Amino acid sequence: MADDNFTRDDDVAEEEEEVDETVKSFRAVKDAVLFAIDVSSSMLEPRLSEDSRRPVQESPTSAALKCAYYLMQQRIISNPRDMMGVLLYGTESTKFYDEDGNTGSDLSYPHCYLFTDLDIPSAQEVKNLRALAGNEESARGILRPSSERVSMANVLFCANQIFTTKAPNFLSRRLFIVTDDDNPHQDNKSLRSAATVRARDLYDLSVNIELFPISRPDHEFDTSKFYDDIIYKPSPRDGEAPTYLQPDTKTSTGKGDGISLLNSLLSSINSRAVPRRSLFSNVPLEIGPNFKIAVNGYLLLKKQEPARSCYVWLGGEKPRIVKGITTHMADDTAQTVEKSEIRKAYKFGGEQVTFTPEELQALRNFGDPVIRIIGFKPLSALPIWANVKHPSFIYPSEDDFVGSTRVFSALHQKLLKDQKIAIVWFIPRKNSAPVVAAMIAGEERLDENGVQKVPPGMWLIPLPFADDVRENPPAVLSVSPDDLTDAMRQVIGQLQLPRGTYDAQKYPNPALQWHYRILQALALDEDYPGEPEDKTKPRYRQIDKRAGDYVLEWSRLLDMIFDKMYGGQAATTSTLVKREARDAGEGASRPPAKRVKTEEPADLEEQVRQCYERGTLKKLTLHVLKSFLNAHGRATAGKKDDLIDQVEQYFERKN
Amino acid sequence: MADKEATVYIVDVGKSMGKCQHGRSVTDLEWAMQYVWDRITTTVANGRKTATIGVVALRSNDTCNDLQEDDSFSKISVLQNLGQLLMPDIRRLRDIIKPSSTDRGDAISSIVVAIQMINTYTKKLKYKRKIVLVTNGTGPMNNEGIEEIQRKIKDDGIELLILGADFDDAEFGVKEEDKDFHKAANESLLREFADGCDGAFGTLEQAVSELEIPRIKVTKSMPSFKGFLCLGDASQYNTALRIPVERFFRTYVAKPPSASSFAVRSGGGTGQEGIEDSAGPSSSSGEGLTTVRMSRTYQINDESAPGGKADVERDDLAKGYEYGRTAVHISQTDENITTLETFAGMEIIGFIHMDKYDRYLQMSNTNVIIAQRANDKASLALSSFIHALFEQDSYAVARLVTKEQKPPMMVLLAPSIEHDYECLIEAVLPFAEDVRSYQFPPLDKVVTVSGKIVTEHRNLPNDELKQAMSDYVDNMELDAEELPIEDSYSPLLHRIEAAVRYRAVHPNDPVLEPSEQLTKLAHPSQVLIERSSPYLEKLVQASNVKKVPPKTKGRKRLREAEKPLSGLDVDALLKQEPKRTEISASNAIPEFKQMLSRADSLDVIHDAVRQMTSIVETLIKDSLGDANYDRVVESLGTVREELVDYEEPTLYNDLIRSLKAKILGEELGGDRLELWWLIRKGKLGLIDEKSSSLSQVTELEANEFYSVH
Repeated sequence: MADDNFTRDDDVAEEEEEVDETVKSFRAVKDAVLFAIDVSSSMLEPRLSEDSRRPVQESPTSAALKCAYYLMQQRIISNPRDMMGVLLYGTESTKFYDEDGNTGSDLSYPHCYLFTDLDIPSAQEVKNLRALAGNEESARGILRPSSERVSMANVLFCANQIFTTKAPNFLSRRLFIVTDDDNPHQDNKSLRSAATVRARDLYDLSVNIELFPISRPDHEFDTSKFYDDIIYKPSPRDGEAPTYLQPDTKTSTGKGDGISLLNSLLSSINSRAVPRRSLFSNVPLEIGPNFKIAVNGYLLLKKQEPARSCYVWLGGEKPRIVKGITTHMADDTAQTVEKSEIRKAYKFGGEQVTFTPEELQALRNFGDPVIRIIGFKPLSALPIWANVKHPSFIYPSEDDFVGSTRVFSALHQKLLKDQKIAIVWFIPRKNSAPVVAAMIAGEERLDENGVQKVPPGMWLIPLPFADDVRENPPAVLSVSPDDLTDAMRQVIGQLQLPRGTYDAQKYPNPALQWHYRILQALALDEDYPGEPEDKTKPRYRQIDKRAGDYVLEWSRLLDMIFDKMYGGQAATTSTLVKREARDAGEGASRPPAKRVKTEEPADLEEQVRQCYERGTLKKLTLHVLKSFLNAHGRATAGKKDDLIDQVEQYFERKN
Repeated sequence: MADKEATVYIVDVGKSMGKCQHGRSVTDLEWAMQYVWDRITTTVANGRKTATIGVVALRSNDTCNDLQEDDSFSKISVLQNLGQLLMPDIRRLRDIIKPSSTDRGDAISSIVVAIQMINTYTKKLKYKRKIVLVTNGTGPMNNEGIEEIQRKIKDDGIELLILGADFDDAEFGVKEEDKDFHKAANESLLREFADGCDGAFGTLEQAVSELEIPRIKVTKSMPSFKGFLCLGDASQYNTALRIPVERFFRTYVAKPPSASSFAVRSGGGTGQEGIEDSAGPSSSSGEGLTTVRMSRTYQINDESAPGGKADVERDDLAKGYEYGRTAVHISQTDENITTLETFAGMEIIGFIHMDKYDRYLQMSNTNVIIAQRANDKASLALSSFIHALFEQDSYAVARLVTKEQKPPMMVLLAPSIEHDYECLIEAVLPFAEDVRSYQFPPLDKVVTVSGKIVTEHRNLPNDELKQAMSDYVDNMELDAEELPIEDSYSPLLHRIEAAVRYRAVHPNDPVLEPSEQLTKLAHPSQVLIERSSPYLEKLVQASNVKKVPPKTKGRKRLREAEKPLSGLDVDALLKQEPKRTEISASNAIPEFKQMLSRADSLDVIHDAVRQMTSIVETLIKDSLGDANYDRVVESLGTVREELVDYEEPTLYNDLIRSLKAKILGEELGGDRLELWWLIRKGKLGLIDEKSSSLSQVTELEANEFYSVH
């Protein structure tokens, strides 16, 4: 059975860590994204790929649907509490809450087709969207453009109603419009003005419109024709956005073929996949005594873990999620205890030492939130090992101090230019434990589509305290002679990653992806997927091809030098050390074939293989089996029979 | 396992210890006990049974020790025999350690008593033995047989520490003027005694002042991975490289001790006491507290059940996961079905340039990777890898699986070469999913709506500001060669530990401020401040930063943004829409805001609020269970925000008062208390005078308003 330790409360507590307490809002910290995808004949026109090897046809609409499908899958993993919906407009058919029956006649939105209602997606909805994006038979009827022009005012009000009823009180509500039509109403003044009024309604409802414009092959999308009247600057509320951020409607107008259109749209949507939520806002950055500016903090790097398992109830037709409710009980009387009756105490000398809640709070209080610079150092003074957790990102805010941005910018430029860091005393929010952090300036980075990949700003890296530094474990030093080092340099020189950098985007978390891939298959009753895609696996063939010869040379040298340095001692070492020393010799062992006939295999690998082939694994000692399994990254727990099973599995997989 | 310990504290409680000397506000005994209590409570706090403590009083009124038949051991009392010290012992010792009415009793004899105690308790077993004597050195001392005692101390491996109030210490800088001749003689006797048995001798002032420096627990690390650093696949290619390595923590955050939950014990008069205890500066007795257990019940949403929720039995539950809003059930046999199959190993993916690596990418604590121990060949192989990385200015990127079936991690491997130690430093790098792409505008240029790039702007520094910043930064450079890590202490950890220790001995004292040591990095040093102050002055001038008065933070500044990108005057368009004097329920929030923004008289505002009130009440009445509650909260929140901005708090306060009455009176479709709870959670009650100067509601009143009694 599932374990009792699981509590949903823990989850909440973890999530709260990210919620900005300084924004005292009645709104729920959730995000709702509604895609509004234009379905017109030009949007449905497939664009041929110029790459003749991959004759893929992609229409703007199908690209948009694929992006929506991709985003939906991604958000199930990264934002499991957030909502998403897909509204098609300009379709021949119309669909809006008709099954519910509670839609009045005044609410009709001709040529608006609510394909996926705004909600946390269900598995079925994921499947339906995939079918539509893949242009499967069942979905084809929907993607038929209407002969009549759809009113943008209607589309916007339709979205308004979806947000009003389905995502009330959400902190973030966003309408993603994907279209290639930069002037839907041409000169029709009344339709235009109706649309601008409806757009204003959305603005007042705190819905942000984000436009993903697609240029036509013969026509550059021009936002000034219509959309500049529809779109507002992001609301400066809650420190969500710096006051002068411009929506980047100018970027990513995929003018080219289908593939590049899809890619640029993906990268553009990806960059706005999650709403920007601040970690803390308007915290003073104290540059010197009595000289402050204000900054907002964000979490740009955070370990994404699979959602924890939960309980499902199997008593009904479909499995349902169960909500667990924890009550506290006094151990002696078994009576329920209210939160206010609970005291915190520290165990000490067999008893408890208690503090009042006020005292506990006072103990945690080291002053108001602040980022206070206590001096500067060269960047080179920050060792790699001085790290304890992920960094926070800060960006200036003009809310409390006018001029914060230019001062921040001056500091940013200075630190970048001279490769310096600031050392700061950092209290992110009220009553959080102070840390000493290194503040480093980060440069803006763009991807190949010109979309920002890393924003410009400062990173706060919490430094370890003396309490957090562990002593180095004792180790013997055998310094490599220069010729051996040179041999290894040859190997390293062959295997540089592209551009000599680490690009996180190239490495999706295989365990996380697999977890959700399986859940999706289970939820949709689909076939169990075969091999997981794992982009973190090294490219073995390339490594062999490029560096193989150099490794062999290094290995030859290693054997030679080792014999020279330690040769005389080998006999005196204990058997344990001797055996393990041979393991080290595995560095590029010569082709196994040469040793097959040796009477007594010198090599652990060979010894086990021969036993496997002769079916005499049972003869091997427990220790040999364990060493073998350990050398191949296998767990070594269990009885001898289990270990033999494991060894057999290993060889069976290989063949 | 930590070593077993046996420590005997000898406290001089002679009559003269009860005096305050040299203008100090505490008596010598109180002063000495600051040190002794700190040491004792530090030992108690680690909770180890094998860390034993004994306490002996010197120059006590009574005599109580194993050697008391001999007269020279009179006026020495064993207050606490060696053993684990617990809270009742602390309380008892606290009460009995008082200045006595005698000055008789020999310090050297008390050391003999302590040796005897240790001998009896530890026999010949492996122990860390220690005797600490704290005295003011004014008692009579007999140096008879001193060599024999010293030899015994050395033979038994006992560590001796003698601390004295106002003992001279040239190194530390203490010299007592007009020292009594007798005391001076005692001091030199004790000093010689300590020296003669490799013990330590010091002045109390130094010992007490060093209590401020937090002590760091040394934790022995265990390897978190033992396996191979590989390049290539050894099962397929004979060119694969494998070096056996082990992985240990380099950094790991030390957490402050965690408090556990207790409930105030109920029932009878004692319960009352318990409550009083914990309300005031509580007694540390811990009586009246009982441990808390958690019990869990399980519910599902069920529209047919009262309240929309139904309890379900634990036995009908199975393990599962959420995929979106779909529940996915996983049968017991498939328990690990979602786990990616992995095998342990540290596999190199490729190499990157040091100068192209962004230091902020590190997501975790760091580890050291060293060669398998007692394996010289592995050590040599790894050394060549470390040196090659270093000479190539490169880091390795690797995929690490610490145990079979554990999820893979991407790690950075950086070379670390010190004169006597070589290792790789390992830190976790982000996966694609760990990076959130929030976008921010550039900091060195401004891009306008039309796409034009501007380099002179109020948000960009001019040359003067840049120069002033540059000068300031250059003059605020920290002097120390290294980062402040070695002598920086976790403030929260040490403050809580110190508070717990202090509270155990002084249950009625308020909690202490953090010691200076803990906050010394909270501000720049005085030297730096002075050195940089002329540059700071120039910087302040050049930057011309203005604090925004709290008032204007709201409405007015927001106004600017209320135009679309084109700058079109939508308000003018709205005015032309004749139908918008009536707020429609389906588009209430935008229309309410727009009605206010066009309002030319107070009547219009009143009217708008009246309409919103009725819309909200209808929403509540029509709500099936809690279906409309979020819309209600959003509407109320909007009305509240707008009325604060329009400086009409009373209008909102009237609305929410009447709404509360209706909710409590069950006039809006039955029991709506859950909604009130949401209103309370959203802080949508009365607008108090702090939020709006025009409100006559006090903060206290606003807080009490949330109560439903």
